[in-house]
Amino acid sequence: MGLHFYNMDKLSIAGTEETPTIILDKQKGTFEFSGRSLTEVPAEFYKPVVKWIEAYSKDPNANTLVMFKLEYINTGSAKSILDVLLAFQQINSAKVAWYFHEDDEDMEEMGEEFSELVEIPFEFLAY
Amino acid sequence: MSEEILKALTQLFAIITKQDGGVTENERQFVINFFQSELDRDSIKEYVELYDNFSGYTRQGIAEEEEKNKLTSVKDSIKTLGICKKINKTLTQKQKVIVLIKLLELVNSDKHFTPQRLEIVNTVSTVFNIVKESYKIIETFVISEKVEELNFSDILIADSSAAKSAELQKHAHVHIEGSLAFMRVRSVDMYFTKYLGDQSNSLNGFVMQPNRIYLFSHGSTIKTQEGVALYYSDLIGDFNEEIQTTKLSFNARIDEFKFPNGAIGLRDVVISEGAGKLIGIMGASGAGKTTLLLALAGLEKPSKGSVLINGLNIHTEKKKIQGVIGFVSQDDLLIEDLTVYQNLYYNAKLCFAHYTEEQLDQRVTQVLQNLGLDHRKDLKVGSVLDKKISGGQRKRLNIALELIREPAILFLDEPTSGLSSRDSENVIDLLKELSLRGKLIFVVIHQPSSDIYKMFDKMVIMDTGGYPAYYGNPAQAVTYFKKVTHQVDSNRGQCEICGNINPEQIFNIIEAKVVDEYGQPTAKRKVTPPQWYEMYLKKFKINRIEDVKEQPPVSLHIPTRIKQAGIFIQRDFLSKISDRQYLLINLLEAPLLALILSVIIKYRSAPGGKEYIFRFNENIPAFLLMSIIVALFMGLTVSAEEILRDRKILKRESFLNLSWNSYLQSKLTILFLLSAIQTLLFVLISNFILEIHGMTLAFWLVLFTTSCFANVLGLNISSAFNSAVTVYVLIPLLLIPQMILSGVLFSFEKLNSVISTKGKVPIVADLMASRWAYEAIATHQFINNEYESNYYEYEKAQSQADYKSGYLAEELKKRNQFVLDNFDTKNDSIRSLVTKNLNIIRHVISVEPMKSGLEKISLEKDLKISSYSKIIGEIVDRYLVNYKKHYQKVYNNNVSLTEKKMAFYEKKGVNILAEKNKHYSESLSDLVRNVTTEDRLIEYKGKLIQEINPIFQEPNKEGLMDYRTAFFLPEKNLLGLTVSTFAFDILIIWLMSLLLYIALYFELIKKLIDSFGKVHFPLGMN
Repeated sequence: MGLHFYNMDKLSIAGTEETPTIILDKQKGTFEFSGRSLTEVPAEFYKPVVKWIEAYSKDPNANTLVMFKLEYINTGSAKSILDVLLAFQQINSAKVAWYFHEDDEDMEEMGEEFSELVEIPFEFLAY
Repeated sequence: MSEEILKALTQLFAIITKQDGGVTENERQFVINFFQSELDRDSIKEYVELYDNFSGYTRQGIAEEEEKNKLTSVKDSIKTLGICKKINKTLTQKQKVIVLIKLLELVNSDKHFTPQRLEIVNTVSTVFNIVKESYKIIETFVISEKVEELNFSDILIADSSAAKSAELQKHAHVHIEGSLAFMRVRSVDMYFTKYLGDQSNSLNGFVMQPNRIYLFSHGSTIKTQEGVALYYSDLIGDFNEEIQTTKLSFNARIDEFKFPNGAIGLRDVVISEGAGKLIGIMGASGAGKTTLLLALAGLEKPSKGSVLINGLNIHTEKKKIQGVIGFVSQDDLLIEDLTVYQNLYYNAKLCFAHYTEEQLDQRVTQVLQNLGLDHRKDLKVGSVLDKKISGGQRKRLNIALELIREPAILFLDEPTSGLSSRDSENVIDLLKELSLRGKLIFVVIHQPSSDIYKMFDKMVIMDTGGYPAYYGNPAQAVTYFKKVTHQVDSNRGQCEICGNINPEQIFNIIEAKVVDEYGQPTAKRKVTPPQWYEMYLKKFKINRIEDVKEQPPVSLHIPTRIKQAGIFIQRDFLSKISDRQYLLINLLEAPLLALILSVIIKYRSAPGGKEYIFRFNENIPAFLLMSIIVALFMGLTVSAEEILRDRKILKRESFLNLSWNSYLQSKLTILFLLSAIQTLLFVLISNFILEIHGMTLAFWLVLFTTSCFANVLGLNISSAFNSAVTVYVLIPLLLIPQMILSGVLFSFEKLNSVISTKGKVPIVADLMASRWAYEAIATHQFINNEYESNYYEYEKAQSQADYKSGYLAEELKKRNQFVLDNFDTKNDSIRSLVTKNLNIIRHVISVEPMKSGLEKISLEKDLKISSYSKIIGEIVDRYLVNYKKHYQKVYNNNVSLTEKKMAFYEKKGVNILAEKNKHYSESLSDLVRNVTTEDRLIEYKGKLIQEINPIFQEPNKEGLMDYRTAFFLPEKNLLGLTVSTFAFDILIIWLMSLLLYIALYFELIKKLIDSFGKVHFPLGMN
């Protein structure tokens, strides 16, 4: 697992081959998930993330725009990402910006599926 | 399974199997098999096509080579998630476990385990919220083919090896080739089995494929090739730690049960069971099922035999097994005016003193959920006729009332009668679950469905006349009866296709009739009950379970008596205020009666007939009597049905051994409160209308006391009689004597001489609360009203002086003269008259304070016929003249004192006449002064008795316990003290209430009536 920095305001996890880069920063208003997620223990990996979001949701910013820019996620991670999204769902102001490579139909479709499973407004952006 | 779910599953199958090299023939065949078990022939094709489509299967058996880095495609991942979410919304947890097992079996069908496939299945399990530990054991159970790999405590291996093959697993020794593995999925309480070996064993009549997973459901039986049968209940018992640790033995041996009329209800019934069994009792009508249940539960005592729980006789050692037994009868035992939740809540509160409110709520809510009543929890139960909840719900709630305290042994009398088949199944399911938690449960059941029948661990079948006919595994019962009657297919107990058992068959065989030559069945049975019993004796050797030496487990924790009373009060109060009719009538009754009564008797009473003046209202004495009757009536009617109505609930709660005293106190608290309110309303309104001033508190105190007395009296009859009609018929019988002997309607002086005494209230009347109440209220109003209280003392002295000077002096003089004239006569009858008169004179003078002029004679010695002389007679005569003069002076003094006081008040600006009009009642004054009497003074039993002006008299101080006086005396003697009649009378009524309470506590009236009931009337029908 990468560099792990955790406090009430900021959570930042540097990405690896198997895990994504995650930056959650209340002060700067940055909420980013990028890279790939194919860890075999997704639940463990995402647990602190969900915890952080839950803590944050008690006193959220006026706007919370969550950016996902993922290249690949395996099935287990998909379930965990869903948990992450469900945690964000507790925040009224939350919005999701879902980035996908313009050739990557799968990622686009995944975003669409997620947007149906949760009740957060999604914006789809190709890059 | 719905089409939607099946489609979702098909997709899931496809997604899993297309990973890593694609679908194999085996896998596809597994899916097709699955469809075959779920679908009709036509639809199978459609779904197989769907599956092929999703999985990319081609007929050549080679999947499309589209692997990306050997990773699951993102699309599949998200699809899996979507499908699982959809399934989550429809399937129960149990169904999801089955789906998960199917998925694992699918993967296992070709042993094609790859990380991707397992990852998908694992994710599915996570999304399904299946506990991690459960997933681990399920995965291992499906995949592993070696028993030693199944190292879990929730695994049971049945094989012929001597010991278990892994440390944690459980083991059962069975003669079988290979091994049978059983798995418990703890989170959903489901059992699965698979067979590892080459034999062909059957599960519920179906051949078990090796290494296939089967659901091992309630009542399942596995038969090995050698014919050894393994029963669900035995195997589950091995799993269950609670059953293993529950120390319970139940040994019943009922040699004979005789009804009071001499008929035999049960013969030689032996039942021996331990913890964790669900036992059914079946039988033709009249076979003694309910009798058996009552005897086993200790509610009826067998004439010969005993029932032992952990070695304790339930008929003789009731105290020691308190709270161990629960009994659900067929009666409806709900408190009608409480909601479903409240019914349970208060019951739980009485059972679990050590619970916090939160725990109580949790427990109640949980039981309601278990019985499917949670969405009805806030509905009022209503009566059987005025239904608010359905019959099935009532039944379930009745069961819940017993279930909530989880007695170690539970008896239920036809818990499913009148329920839909779904409701019935839910109820039995619940009982089964309880039995798996270590309870021993006996159920009388009538016409159970196959599913219900199979859930029982054992079945007791009774035949007409109380003969046992069968005791053992339910599924084997059909086979047994078929076999002993030599039927053709005797080995088949259940339908080979659907696995159903038809319990009706059993009774068809038992009660089969001999057919006459025309083919008509006759009344004669082919096999009589004694014959079945004979076969039973040969076939069934009942192994007596060893008596456990420990105390049986009890989950009960009864609150203290005070707390019980608190709970009872709360429950009763809630029940009453939620009964609107009851509340309305009881709160309106008093004001209405007050209104009717006082408006009717208020008339233009002033001498000119122009206006109403309280002083001249001649109805006041009658009004006071009516007030007391109203208080008695209200008090009686409100309480007369109280205990009667609760009788059923008390019967149920008798298993809890709650305090009768607490219960009664709670009743009294509520009734007294109600009485207080009713009488207060009555007094306020009637006193306001009739313009009775300054008497509110005093009147209320008397009426409240009277009403409370009536409450206790009402509870007495309510506890003694069995029907509301009897109770209400009794009310006039109790009330009318109160009216007759109140002292107002009929003068105590003019009653039958058997009961009447002059100068004292008759003893029979002293038993009447009405007489005390009336005396209290009348004397208090007269003495203490704002007008009279100023002059009462003077008027009293005045009246006494007047009586002495005006009547007593003359009377004594007359008698003294008679003595003087005749003391030396020889005539015996005249001599006795002389003696009597001397006695009277002596007695009067001895209690007289004014004795001047008598210094020279001794009353004791000289006023006797033997020592009487002319001189003495003249001394007495002179004394009497002085006596008269003295009291005339006293009289005059007091008259002038009264006048002076009046003048004093007048000077202060008080209008005395107006005051008198406002506070003084002429008619009441006439009554308490007894002005209508013919003789002011009479002679009775050698004493002179003053008839006039009782209200101004003083009580005789003859003995410490001599409380008795004439009616309306202002004071009474109590242990040498002088107490106002008002306080004394109220005290007496409370004392009477206390005595009635003691009678109620010991149920004396009930016992008395019961002893009458034992008397046989020669003409009575039996």
